Amino acid sequence: MRNVRYMLLNVLLTGTFLLLATMSQAQCRSFAKNKCVPELAPFKFNETFNAAQLAAGEEAEVNLTFYSGQQYRVLVCAHPILGEVNWKLVDTNNKIIFESLAPEPKPHFDLKASSTTQMKVIVWVPEKEKTDMVHVGCVAIMVGFKE
Amino acid sequence: MSADLRGTFEPSLTDPMKPMRTNRWPMLLLAVGLLAACGGNETQQDALQVDDGQGDATRTERVRKTKNIFFNIPSPMETAALLKKAGAEYNGKILNDVKNVNRYTSSTAQALNLGIYGADLSYTSVFNQTQESMLYTACAQNLAKRLNVSHAFDQSTVDRMERNRNDRDSLLSIISETYWDVDAYLKDNERENLSGLMIAGGWIEGLYIATQVTLTNDSPELRQRIAEQKLSLGDLVGLMGTYPGDETSIAKVKADLEALNKLFTDVTVESSGESTITQEEGMTVVGGAVAMASLSDAQLVAIRDKAAQVRNTYIN
Repeated sequence: MRNVRYMLLNVLLTGTFLLLATMSQAQCRSFAKNKCVPELAPFKFNETFNAAQLAAGEEAEVNLTFYSGQQYRVLVCAHPILGEVNWKLVDTNNKIIFESLAPEPKPHFDLKASSTTQMKVIVWVPEKEKTDMVHVGCVAIMVGFKE
Repeated sequence: MSADLRGTFEPSLTDPMKPMRTNRWPMLLLAVGLLAACGGNETQQDALQVDDGQGDATRTERVRKTKNIFFNIPSPMETAALLKKAGAEYNGKILNDVKNVNRYTSSTAQALNLGIYGADLSYTSVFNQTQESMLYTACAQNLAKRLNVSHAFDQSTVDRMERNRNDRDSLLSIISETYWDVDAYLKDNERENLSGLMIAGGWIEGLYIATQVTLTNDSPELRQRIAEQKLSLGDLVGLMGTYPGDETSIAKVKADLEALNKLFTDVTVESSGESTITQEEGMTVVGGAVAMASLSDAQLVAIRDKAAQVRNTYIN
């Protein structure tokens, strides 16, 4: 009987975790759509959703293609629960093109590509003083372009 | 699943000698119910209790495992805008026939063609072809409904598009928002494979349109934009690689993309040198000294033929 209960508990908890994960992702999309997309204006949103639930010390990266002659806005938008996050845009040689660090945050970077190139946005959430609480929040990396 | 959810709850499962007692279950179910009811559009975030006993090593391991890597595929709208800027002229005859919409009965065909009709919709809208845009909207909505994504693309969306049919910017915004909503809905409902197929279908249609336009409206600028698709194709191959390969439909699309990728092997797009950063009228200009990407006649023909062959298997 105890084994059956334990199995049922496992199934229930697994289902709960899946439900929570799905809900978190849905909330992350909602956050990105409602709070981040408007910040891309006057650039047009490129329709691609790159967002993750991150905690302190965690990292996300997105490879981006910038076409020659086009103007872009690269935006990193983090839920306030995380505080300010660090992010940088690097080229294929890892040369830093732009960097925003938590003490002096810059939410977006506008650029024009003179040649078609791929770059990478790397976002990392600063480590905080040791605490019993881990705050997990949504971080969206978005790109807008001008026609 | 978020690594933090795993990391946080694992300790309570490691001790089978302390299973939850039955009388706690109603509380657990109530908690689950309350959490589920809080979904909506609120942007609530999680604050989770962590077991101190985990230690720094475990934490470092968890962090190492949870580096998130995304593939950013240019949207059909961005591709259509690039085509227009490159001097391409509109040619409605090359688009997927709206009469084909009822042919697509499997979810794979529906997802691929939702992407294809979505790209056609972006193309007609960017080139301000209002009447055609409404037809492709109807096709996309039809497929969205059959894929059970009507929640993200319902009649109110079509009505909004109809009301804004003569306001190009608003129409483009609604299309972008709808594309996002459909993609998000598929991903949120654990149908990521269909999202991948939709993205792949849209990308293939964009390449097909661009290469077909060269038959009547060839130019160095257009060839440059086609050559540059090598970069987004690499990302698309990477994205499709994140889906399980044992599913026939995904495996087929992966093989098609790999075959196309081979045709781009000798196409030079990017400089291997360091990027330069300059200022131009208050705008940061990033780039390197690189010759404009181009395609030889043979490369163009090979890519055009392959794109047509792949696309035609998807629409028929």
